[in-house]
Order: sequence, then C-alpha cells, then structure tokens
Amino acid sequence: MAGQLIREWTAIQQFPAATQEKLVDLLGKLKNENVNTLTILVMGKGGVGKSSTVNSIIGERVVTVSAFQSETPRPVMVSRSRSGFTLNIIDTPGLVEGGYVSDQVLETIKSSLGRFLLNKTIDVLLYVDRLDAYRVDNMDKQVVKAITDSFGKKIWHKAVVVLTHAQLSPPDALSYEEFFSKRSESLLKCVRQGARISKKDLQNFAIPVALVENSGRCNKNEHDEKILPSGTPWIPNLVHTITDVALNGKEGILVDQKLIEGPNANERGKLYIPLILAVQYFFVIKPIQKWIKDDIARETKPSWD
Amino acid sequence: MSSFAAPAHLLPLSTRRRNSSTNAVVSHISSSTSIIQCNLPSLAATSSSQNPKPSKSSPFLLNSIISPKSLAVSAASCILFHIAQPILSGSDSILNYSGGGGSSGSGGGGGGGNGGGEGGGFWRFFSPEAVAKDDDPQQEWDSHGLPANIVVQLNKLSGFKKYKVSEIMFFDRRRGSTVGTEDSFFEMVSLRPGGIYTKAQLQKELETLATCGMFEKVELETKTNPDGTINITIPFLESTWQSADRFRCINVGLMPQSKPIEMDPDMTEKERLEYYRSQEKDYRRRIERARPCLLPMSVQREILQMLREQGKVSARLLQRIRDRVQQWYQENGYACAQVVNFGNLNTKEVVCEVVEGDITQLLIQFQDKLGNVCEGNTQFPVIRRELPKQLRQGQVFNIEAGKQALRNINSLALFSNIEVNPRPDEKNEGGIIVEVKLKELEQKSAEVSSEWSIVPGRGGRPTLASIQPGGTVSFEHRNIKGLNRSLLGSVTTSNFLNPQDDLAFKLEYVHPYVDGVYNPRNRTFRASCFNSRKLSPVFTGGPGIEEVPPIWVDRAGVKANITENFTRQSKFTYGLVMEEITTRDESSHISANGQRVLPSGGVSADGPPTTLSGTGVDRMAFLQANITRDNTKFLNGAIVGERNVFQLDQGLGIGSKFPFFNRHQLTVTRFLQLKNVEEGAGKPPPPVLVLHGHYGGCVGDLPSYDAFTLGGPYSVRGYNMGELGAARNILELAAELRIPVRNTHAYVFAEHGNDLGSSKDVKGNPTEVYRRMGHGSSYGVGVKLGLVRAEYAVDQNSGTGAIFFRFGERF
Repeated sequence: MAGQLIREWTAIQQFPAATQEKLVDLLGKLKNENVNTLTILVMGKGGVGKSSTVNSIIGERVVTVSAFQSETPRPVMVSRSRSGFTLNIIDTPGLVEGGYVSDQVLETIKSSLGRFLLNKTIDVLLYVDRLDAYRVDNMDKQVVKAITDSFGKKIWHKAVVVLTHAQLSPPDALSYEEFFSKRSESLLKCVRQGARISKKDLQNFAIPVALVENSGRCNKNEHDEKILPSGTPWIPNLVHTITDVALNGKEGILVDQKLIEGPNANERGKLYIPLILAVQYFFVIKPIQKWIKDDIARETKPSWD
Repeated sequence: MSSFAAPAHLLPLSTRRRNSSTNAVVSHISSSTSIIQCNLPSLAATSSSQNPKPSKSSPFLLNSIISPKSLAVSAASCILFHIAQPILSGSDSILNYSGGGGSSGSGGGGGGGNGGGEGGGFWRFFSPEAVAKDDDPQQEWDSHGLPANIVVQLNKLSGFKKYKVSEIMFFDRRRGSTVGTEDSFFEMVSLRPGGIYTKAQLQKELETLATCGMFEKVELETKTNPDGTINITIPFLESTWQSADRFRCINVGLMPQSKPIEMDPDMTEKERLEYYRSQEKDYRRRIERARPCLLPMSVQREILQMLREQGKVSARLLQRIRDRVQQWYQENGYACAQVVNFGNLNTKEVVCEVVEGDITQLLIQFQDKLGNVCEGNTQFPVIRRELPKQLRQGQVFNIEAGKQALRNINSLALFSNIEVNPRPDEKNEGGIIVEVKLKELEQKSAEVSSEWSIVPGRGGRPTLASIQPGGTVSFEHRNIKGLNRSLLGSVTTSNFLNPQDDLAFKLEYVHPYVDGVYNPRNRTFRASCFNSRKLSPVFTGGPGIEEVPPIWVDRAGVKANITENFTRQSKFTYGLVMEEITTRDESSHISANGQRVLPSGGVSADGPPTTLSGTGVDRMAFLQANITRDNTKFLNGAIVGERNVFQLDQGLGIGSKFPFFNRHQLTVTRFLQLKNVEEGAGKPPPPVLVLHGHYGGCVGDLPSYDAFTLGGPYSVRGYNMGELGAARNILELAAELRIPVRNTHAYVFAEHGNDLGSSKDVKGNPTEVYRRMGHGSSYGVGVKLGLVRAEYAVDQNSGTGAIFFRFGERF
C-alpha cells in the first residue's frame, strides 16, 4: 500500500463550482505556505461517520461504508494529488470494540501508519463524533486518552473535532446554535480531560470544531453546495478549518519507529544494568550474608553443645 | 527379670528407610520413607513396677572403692557408699553383691568395698526385682501357725513355710516413730504388702538392707496376725555423718578404680594409721586428678542448700542428692551419667563422684542386609562430618547429640537403616563406645512406574486405541565413589506410544563437598538437564472474560549451579542457566502471539507477543543467584522467625535478540510472636502475626513468560493465578494473624498486589489486552486442617467471596 500509486484528484471536479473554487483557493493558500502535502488522520469511535466524512472530502466513494456495521477492518490511506499538491487521508476503524477501547485497533492503526508514512508527519487529526449524541460519557474520555497515550498530548495541537450528523433538529426548547455550542463544549471538555490539558494550557490548545453532514439528503444552497442548518456550506468550511490547523504553526506529528512501537520499555534503563547489579551485590546480597552470619552466631546452641 | 540385660544396648537410636511399595492404579511407585526411632529401653526396662526411679541401673562396671576416710576416722562408718550393680550377674545378682558395709561401730571393717567384682557402680540400695520375681499372686501361702499378735524373730520363722505379708513398716529408732510409706526407704525393699515370701527371701531382704549402706543398724521383725498372715516391722538406725558445708562433684569416668587393699588384720596400730593416711592421700589425689563435671553451679548451689538445711549428712540426704544430680543429667540428655559414689564423708565436704559417660571410641560400621558387619562403600569422612562434635572421642555422651547424629546421617539419604548405640567400653571402665551402624542403600537403582489412562474415545466410549500407557522411567546411581555424588535421571510421559507429545525428562548430577570432604564449608555442585511445561499465567483473562486461549510455556535447557549451605535453612545458590523457551497454544503448535477472543466470538492470534524474539522460540543464557536467609523455627508447632529471599536473574546478552536484563525479586517475611509462651511439648503455640512483602522487578528485556504475575494462592489470595495482571514491576503486601485453636490454627488475612503501573511496560500489555485490573486486594479468614488450608477470601475488585481449599502454606 505504501507504494500505492497516487491518483489524480479528479473527483474534485464533481464538487459544485463554488466549492471547487473555495477548495482550490485553500490549496493555493497551502502551496503558498510551501505545504505540498497534507496528511489527515481520521479517528473516533465506531459508527460516527469517519469513512463517510473521508468520502465527502475526497468527493468519491473511496472507502466502503454501510449503514449498520463497521466496514473498516483496517486503516486505509487515500491519497489524491492535484497540481503538485498531495492530500493523504487515513481512515481508521472505530476505536471502541465490545465496550472497551481496543488496544488492538490502536496497534493496527499505528502499525499501518508505520507502513503508510514512516518518517512523515501527520498534519491534522480529525477527531470524529456525532453531533446528535446528547451525552458525553467515560468512553469518550477513554478514547481520547487512548489517542493521547499513543500519539502524545501534542497531537491535540493539530486536532479538529468533527461533529457529524450536523443536520438535526435539536430537542425542544433549544435552538440549533445553543445545542451545537453545548454539545461541542461538553465534547471539548471531555477531550481536554482525556488529553489532560490543564486550564493553563487551554489557550495553547484551541481545538476548532467543524460540522459535517454526510447524508445525501443534506440541504443544499443555490450553488448546489451542501449546507449546514446555519446555511454555511460545510465542505469548504471543513477544509478551511483543516488548512487553518495545518498552518497554525505547531509541529505535525512525526511518525517514527518510536511512535509506532510505543515507548520500548525493554530498552529503558538497560545501560544501568551493570550498576544495578553492583548495587544488588553490595547492598542486598552482602547484607543478607551478614545477617545469616549473625543468625549463626546468635543461634541458641543446645545445652549439650 | 530380663530388664537387666537391656543396658547392653543402651540407646539404640535407629532409623529405618523403608521401601514401601504403594500400588496406585496399576503402577508401582516406590518411595523412601524414613522412620526415626529413638527409644531408651534401658531406662524404660528398669523402671519396673516396683522401682519407679528410672535411674537405678547402669551399664557400667565400676569397682567399688573404699574410701580411706571411712577407715581413718575411727568410728565412722564407711564413707563411701558403694554400689554394686547386679546388672551383669543376672537376676539373682543380689546374692553376689555386697555393699560397702555401712555398718556401724567397728570402724575398721572397711566394708569389703568390692561390690562384687562384677557389680557395677551405682548405689544399689536394694534390689527388689530379684526377690519380687517370686512374688506370684497365684501361689498358695501358708498360715504362720502361731498365736496371733506375737512378735517373732526372723530366725524363728519356719524355713518351709510361705508367709503372706499383710503390712510392712519402717521404724526409725532414732526418732522413735514409723516412717511414712512415701519415704524413700520403701523403695529399697522389694517386699510388698500382700506378697508371699519364704524365710530365706526375708533373710535375703534383710541382708540387702543391712549391706546397702543406708543403715547403721537394721533388723526385721515379724508379728503374727490372727488371719495367718504376718506384719513386718523394720526397725532401723539410719547412717549419718558429720554435717558438711561444701559440695563437690567430680567426673571419675575413665579413672582407674582404686582396688581396696586387703587389710591385714594383724597390722599394728601404727601400720593401720599409716594405711589410713595413705588411703586418704590416694583419695585426695584422685579428687585432684578427676575432671570437673558438667553439673552447673546452680544445681551445685541447690545441693549445698540441701546440705546446709539438713545439718547432719544422712543416708537419705545423700540419696536425695544423688537423685537431684542424676535428674539434672537425665534432663540434659546425659543418659549414661551415673552417680557412683559419695566420698569424703565425715569431713566438711561431700564429694559426689559421677561417671558421666565419656566417649572412648567412635565406631562406624557398615552392615549388610543380614546385619553382618561388612565393608561399606561410603567414605568415613562423609559420615564423620555429619556427627556433632559432642559425639567425638573424649566428649561426654549425650543422647541429644546422638539424635542429632541420627538426623544428620539420615538426611544424607544413603542408608536404609541407621543406628547410633552407646555401649559400655569393656576395656575402659566408665567409658562409652559410640557405635554408628549403617546399612547402605543399593548404589544403583532403576524404577519403572506405569499407569494406564483411559481416554474417552469417539462417542464418549473408550476404545482400545484410547488406552494410553504412561509412566516414568527413572534410574539413580547414588553415592558414587562413596562421596555421596549422585546421578539421576527420569523420563515421564503420559503416552509411551506417542512420547513426543509430552516427554518430561530430567538428568541431574549432584556433587557435594566441592571444597573437599574435610572442609567444613558445605558447597554442593549440581548440573542438570531438564524440561518443563507450564501454563502461562500471563495469558489469563480478568474477571470479565472467562475464556482466554491458554499458552503453554515449554522450557528445556541445562543448568549448573553451586549451593552453599550456611545453615539447615539458609543458603546461597549461584549458577548458569541456558534454556530454550517455546510457547505453544492448546494444540501444541508454536505460537508467537497470545490469542484473544474477539467480541464477535472469533479468536484472533494477534495478542501480545509470547516471546522476545517474536517467533515463539527464545534461547537465552543467564546467571541465576538466590540467597535465602531463614531463621524460622517451630515454637510449639507455630513458625516464628524471619525469612528473606533475594533472587536474581542476570541476562548475559546471549541468545535470541541478545537478551540483556536484570530480573530481581526480594521477599521478606516476618513471623512475629505475639505472646511469650513456654516452650515444650504439649504447650500451646503463641499467636503469630505474619507480615510479608514481595517486590519483583525487571530492567531490560522482558519476554512475557518472565513477567511477574499478580493473583493466585501464593500472590494475592482470592484471585486466580494471574487474574490481576502481568507486569514488569510488582509489589505484594500481606498480613496474616494466626490464632492457635486446639491443635491447629485459624487465621485472618489481608493482601494487596500492585503492578506499580508497569503493566504497560510488558510488550503487548497483556494485562490490558485480557482486561485485568493490574492491582487488587483481598481479605478473608481461614483455618488450617492438617495439610489443607480452608479459607474464605473476598476479592475487593468484584466484592465477592469464595471458599478455597489449598495445600501447603502461603508463606
């Protein structure tokens, strides 16, 4: 897969003209900043619409999706290039399996990353969840924690929280905006907790939130662009946010051996082994030998001895 | 009364290693069990019914001595009690025995002190057994045929009649009163109320009393009763000497016994004085030459106290002193010690002469199967180094040392029968020869034990093919070169037809006395080839998931190490291990990764790696050291003391992926006695608080099979093996309070195990993959029932409790 041929991003032409224009504009902006490659990692729980979002961004059905089951058994990288600019999007399987954050999945993601882009960087992380979920629970925190543990806290510099199923009617007595802000705020709070971002660091980790509606029944505006209930066309908006994050001046996440294999505990402290051995000999074995000698000296001899 | 023959075999301490054949299923398993017997027949035998004092007989032949003093001081009686010992002269010995005339008056008599040449050195105040043997209750008796209530002199009695005695009384003439039945005098007559005696027997009895040295004068009067029986009254005048204020105890063992020189009755007064003086001088020299005895000052002071309180030294006092002295010797295991004499009476000092039982020779003998002395294969130094110092030549024989020797030799596991016998040294009076008699086990042995297992075949019914012959073939070549080196090997399989399935083998060479058999340093070299198969507790599910496909860890390799024993329990072992570790799944296929059950129910084989190399087969060489300090001991059945164990595996970077690691474990266990209790058999054990800590850690390469697991009966009770996790560093803490209940104990405990957050430092994080907590606590109560512990433990992760039955001790 690493040697996968990078295809021309033809599907871009299928976007409505207005969207195309904005996208080209954003790509140009990236090229101006000397960014020729943009690598996006998409992660989140299962069934939140990661794959659909990928398909929406690329504009073609590159990853199979189905309504009722997880169709992504292993990470998939989709690469498209257009006039010297390469866009890589890595779609991953859902991190939650059987009610637990699956380490196994994380391991597969990491090892795939190693295959896809060893010694390259991840520019943007899309953390995907649904807008129409009302509650944030411990599981979300676990997912965030797992991501943090694997990629380090600094990946949240490069993160965008993506809320899918954006076209919804909020519950009674709440306006759409209110609902959105409440939902995104609670999710961000959870992300901050899971990533252990303290209040002080808050400024440092301004995680933008983007809305997505992948459904074909999504409302469209006069330019035939898919729009959010607020009227904003969401694809250009999302790409815009992505570009902003990509250009926010923070380092991307370098995918190296260490990241893939995690910290190798087997190597840790190996250098000190001779020292440890010496300490053990002089401060454990020797004292115990002395104790034994003392025991022998103190031993109550039978009266006849 | 055969009891007197016993002392020849004074203390047969013996142990027998029996080959008991137990037939299990169809197999023949032979195991060695050893039984240590240790009895003291001589003592038991002599304390026959009439004679409650166990110390009355002695195996020694000591000539009695005449004390010069006794003669020198005119009127006084003999100063020396002299003691004849009828042992070897058989039951009728009483006749050959003549006491050192304790008789009064005549001074000169000198009491002929030779206690019958063959009589032996001990105060023999009486000899009840001899007479008592005629004491047959079945026997008819004759009426005295005289008017009732008349006093009859002994010599007036009919020699043909058998008289029945209904009452015996001692009458102290000096005090003018009769003596209570609890008095020691009663021990001295063999006559018993209700017994039937002839005139000759009564005369004999009187003779005994008269010659025993206790009395200045003693008579025997009989009084007739209306019913035809007689009452016996023994009026006596007890021997007494000047009061003394000094006490001395000397060991006269091995000293030549001074033979009394026959005094010429025609000696002049001057000659006589001269004679006495020389005797006195001799005795003083004798005292000087004698070695000090073992009797501690405390007992000597006690005796001195007795002397002071008493005023005049009486025969009964001496008897009490003798009993006290002998009691001390007996209590302290000097089973051969005997008081043979009291000398220097009528001076200010009482000299107690003791034969303590000096060992003159240590004899090691080998016996063949029939008990004949034969040449042994075992080299003597091997046995000699097991004998306590106290059993060497020149020491005083102590039964405890004998028992120790027995235990030590038994622990060599070379002999089927071991006897440690002290016997009197005929050539060296008062000496003891310690005989160690050994029956060697066969040097080479081979055993085959077999068992058939019937495995249900298809349809649950066993078929011919499902019967599997299994078993063990083992051989042992022990005591190579007589230096206790041994070579043993065994092969075990559950199916001889398909041994490749599970073949366990072991070949071991043991070479003791690395530093030489004469060197007190006790180091043993061992080399072995082994294999083993164990279920890995690393690949075990947490409480949520039940079915984790098991991983078997097979180890095969060679090991060489040296063990230095510091004490019976404390030792230091160090050596090199080279092994190949293979991890297999249930169906014996090599598996490089643990399996995990997917939520869908499927099994995926991409779990944590099982080996360092990632191939399922690891090879490595490492140094291994283990130092154990253990000073625990049993106090009335409860363990008290402390135990520390430090174990270290140091990888050398030799093997697959060049494993370099330092894996260490420290275990500290304290058994704190919570109450002071008296030590002794039958006394209750103290309550004990057990505190236990175990730290395990590893720096460097750590394959999962070497990870430390938490949970299980020897880790954190209440959980299954490995149920809490597998980690790089662990800490376990436990406390247990043991309270004695009847013959056993009940206990409460609390335990905690923690991975210190190091589960993630094991490659593949098996703790998390199998959904384990990584830490956990438990508490519970239990009771020890023989070898089994029955306990109720509550695990705090789930909050549920369960009853467990376990073998052996947790700590």
